[in-house]
Amino acid sequence: MPEIKKKKHVSKKNKKDWRKHCDIRDVEEFLEDQRLEERLGRFDSKPDEELFVIDTQGGDEIQEVKTITTVKPCSAKERKRQKLAETPKCFEVLLPTSKVKDPNAKRNHVNPSGTKPTALSKITEIKRLKKGVYEKKVEVARKNRKIALDKKRRAKQNSNTFDVDLWGKDTPEAKGIPQTLCDEFIPPEAQLHNVLPDRRLRPKPAPPKTVVSRAAVEAPHPGISYNPSFKEHQELLQDVVQHEQKLMKREAHLHRVTTGMFSKVTQQERENQWREEMSTGLPQPHNPANDPEPESDGEYKAINPPVQNKKKDHKARRKQKERLAEKERLKRLKVEKKKITDLYKLRQLQSSIYNVHKRQAEEREKRAAKRAVEETTALPALNAHKTPKKEPEFVDPQQLTGDLRQINTKVNLLRDRYESLQRRGALAAAKLMMKKKKRVKSYFKSGHKVTDQDVDRFLKRSAGKK
Amino acid sequence: MVSKKKKKYSSGEGAQFMTRKAALKKLQLSLKDFRRICILKGIYPREPRNRKRAQKGAGGIKTLYHTKDIKFLLHEPILWKLRELKVYQQKIRKARAMKEYPRMRKYLRDYPSINIDHIVKERYPTFVDALRDLDDCLTLCFLFSTFPSLKRVPRDQSLLCRRLTVEFMHAIIAAKALRKVFISVKGYYYQAELEGQTITWIVPHHFSFQPQSKDEVDFKIMSTFVEFYTMMLGFVNFKLYHSLNLVYPPKLTAAFSDTDKELVDEQAYVAERIAAMNIPVIKLTGANETEELPEMDIFQTEGEDTQKLEEAKQEAEKVKKLKTMFNGLKFYINREVPREPLVFIIRSFGGEVSWDKDLFVGATFDESDESIAYQIVDRPSMDKQYLSRYYVQPQWVFDSVNARTLLPINKYLMGAVLPPHLSPFVDKTRDQVYKPPEERELLDPNFKPLNEEESGSDIEEASDEDKEEDSEPEDPEQALTKQYQQELQEESTSEDEDGEGGDMDPEKKKLKKEKKKAMAVTTGVPHKEHPYQKEIEDKQAFRLREKLVRKKHRNLYKSMKAGQEKRKKEIWLLRKKRRLHDEKAKQEKKAEKRKQKLQAIEAASV
Repeated sequence: MPEIKKKKHVSKKNKKDWRKHCDIRDVEEFLEDQRLEERLGRFDSKPDEELFVIDTQGGDEIQEVKTITTVKPCSAKERKRQKLAETPKCFEVLLPTSKVKDPNAKRNHVNPSGTKPTALSKITEIKRLKKGVYEKKVEVARKNRKIALDKKRRAKQNSNTFDVDLWGKDTPEAKGIPQTLCDEFIPPEAQLHNVLPDRRLRPKPAPPKTVVSRAAVEAPHPGISYNPSFKEHQELLQDVVQHEQKLMKREAHLHRVTTGMFSKVTQQERENQWREEMSTGLPQPHNPANDPEPESDGEYKAINPPVQNKKKDHKARRKQKERLAEKERLKRLKVEKKKITDLYKLRQLQSSIYNVHKRQAEEREKRAAKRAVEETTALPALNAHKTPKKEPEFVDPQQLTGDLRQINTKVNLLRDRYESLQRRGALAAAKLMMKKKKRVKSYFKSGHKVTDQDVDRFLKRSAGKK
Repeated sequence: MVSKKKKKYSSGEGAQFMTRKAALKKLQLSLKDFRRICILKGIYPREPRNRKRAQKGAGGIKTLYHTKDIKFLLHEPILWKLRELKVYQQKIRKARAMKEYPRMRKYLRDYPSINIDHIVKERYPTFVDALRDLDDCLTLCFLFSTFPSLKRVPRDQSLLCRRLTVEFMHAIIAAKALRKVFISVKGYYYQAELEGQTITWIVPHHFSFQPQSKDEVDFKIMSTFVEFYTMMLGFVNFKLYHSLNLVYPPKLTAAFSDTDKELVDEQAYVAERIAAMNIPVIKLTGANETEELPEMDIFQTEGEDTQKLEEAKQEAEKVKKLKTMFNGLKFYINREVPREPLVFIIRSFGGEVSWDKDLFVGATFDESDESIAYQIVDRPSMDKQYLSRYYVQPQWVFDSVNARTLLPINKYLMGAVLPPHLSPFVDKTRDQVYKPPEERELLDPNFKPLNEEESGSDIEEASDEDKEEDSEPEDPEQALTKQYQQELQEESTSEDEDGEGGDMDPEKKKLKKEKKKAMAVTTGVPHKEHPYQKEIEDKQAFRLREKLVRKKHRNLYKSMKAGQEKRKKEIWLLRKKRRLHDEKAKQEKKAEKRKQKLQAIEAASV
């Protein structure tokens, strides 16, 4: 049974309601058609040839043939060529989208004013040329260019002139007024208009402690004098020796806990070990020497002989109970006694507690002092690379001539500075990686190869020519 | 209601730090630019208290920066400049790739420079701040001034360093601020005092440039440091010159002009630099010739303060003496002596310097000048010597500066074996160590060992019995008061004698006596200060103050005091030992001599 749609009663009282519930699709469609016809022309007026094409080939076979012919892809170059004829995408906007023709078929082209020299302008042009205006223009342009260049150069050199008292109060530059505004003709209100506030909104956090507290140039060891006293030089050498000994000890330790841990085995022993390992679990040939000796004379003995559960009698039970009770009583007695004796021991306890506390306090202090010392000298860990430690400077006794003329040094001051910066935490330690040069494999292009045969041929030919 | 769950590491140490990679992303800079701006702005990597938390749970050691530091960098206007530069560099690269060389040259010519004046001001808000951080700056600038143009160092940087360092040395000369010098194997250590700040720097010995191995030092980073330091040193120089009433920039020589078209060899550069140092700088018109420092006032206070003040006053006097040590003295430097440090030192203490005018430029007087007081030589002998001058080795100048007086030259004469060159940079704790008299003599020129004269000759020994008879000369004032007292005593006795002679009735006498007693002027007793009274009082006051030491510092103070006492005792013990030993040795020597004499007499009589 077809469902009968219930007709809905809606109000069409007002214009708005009328519009809401009226179906005007057909009217709009009609209007659309009309507009299309206006643009594309009416169907009825067009000839059939325009609207229809006679299919002279028909069927699918033909289409297949067509596809075969079009299969050949054109090269990139050809594709580009094809595109050359098309109007560029960027100009498509300029083309008219409407198919409606321009009602005025013949329009005159009008040049914008000023493009064509008029008779009057021609005369004035000649006049100006005679006057030398153009030469002057070129001259002025050249001058301007030079001024601009000079200005640029001066700005560049400005960085080395140092003509401002940076810490003075009165100069406008010191206040942060840009240089372009530092002129006597510019009023102070204008100068101060864009100046940043004295106190920044976001103050810079304090630099790290190590950077601030550690001296940039440390006081030199008196032993590195070019003409040191014997004692001071010996002290320096002692330092170097101690440092070196420490290093050697560390190295020895590392050797001991790594390489030294593994015992060395001869080739023969190793082979034997291997053989033994490989043959575990395999049936061994019977060796009578390895047989365990028989303990008794062939009598049978169970592995787990039977056990008898012998019960205790009443007396034994009682005795056991009494024993336990006595033990407990003695224990309690002891505790009670200890309570009394502890009362007398109070002073001793106190003193022992006091001693423990004192010792702990001392240790704590020592630890704190040690930590404080370490903190002042600890190298900052800012990177996965380790900061180089400060090594005592070694002055070879043979290097000392006591003579300013023959002084010679092996110290690299730049490296010293670099490492000092790292030790102060101003720079993260780094392992400098040098760029490796690419190894280029050289070979001859096949056509350019010169073989012995080529040489022979060339010689022959040149000989034949002669 | 369940509150929104807090994300891990969104507060506390995890939020406080930022890895370098994150910082690069935030600032949108390349690593190279980031390094540069960090050095310029003085942003350093940080070491967190808890690394694991700071790295947001990640393992390993990463380079961390304070988030606040990075946010601070975000406000830097140079950041925009760096980004612009990046574009500029791309343009240059493109022009090179396209082989448009004129365009590339134009870009290179107009390469924008970054102005970092404001950063200097920002990092060092006051002049004193800048002076405090000058050590590193000076050492690096002096070092770079010796460098040729290197691959990663801008070409004009070493030239600029050269100019600025010479200007700075001139400022030190004009301010007479040099205090200590030390020749080490590393280089020359100098210490100057400017505005109450001690500045120490190292100047390398002058050798030809030694090529640096590439994997030791990152030249690019060091060059960036130098870039900032030159800027800072320039402004410091400007300020120093202005405070000394000098014209800045000083006109020294043509050596520091930018015309490096003509090839000048290294030696000529050095020669010109030293010559520049020998030229007095132009003073501003109307500037006073000598600026007298006001004398130090001493306020009466008690205990150690007065002692400290006294010490400070002595120090100030010594410094004052040091400043004019070489005033009016003329020095001639032989050609084998390194001139740069010597010219700098002698000029900064008021001396005049010259050298061989045929070899180097800038000589002011000739070798034949008779008014030359010292000629500095570093060779065992010379053919032609003038009688009117001393020939000393260069170490004399350095040691004199450190001793703050002109040392006796007998140990420094030409060809002599020099005494050791001691470092002036030793800390005060080393004072509390026993030093044998020989060493003390080296350190303190005024120190006289006790047995020096006695051990010298026989005559002294013979007369040492007479010595005891010589009474010590008394203070003239004390003598006067003694005399006065004697006179008074004499007078009073004579008066008494007069009184006894007269005869009167006893009542009257008694009355008269009483009256006289009332009227009498008692002999004035000069107020005698107990000689130790003041010391005792001081000591008491000191003890009182000791008691006021806070509990926090008491143990430290006690251990310090105990250490001092211990060291003092050790020194005393060793000195005593030495004295006893010396005396014993002397007596033995004497006995030996007497024995010899007796033997000789006996031999003569027999």
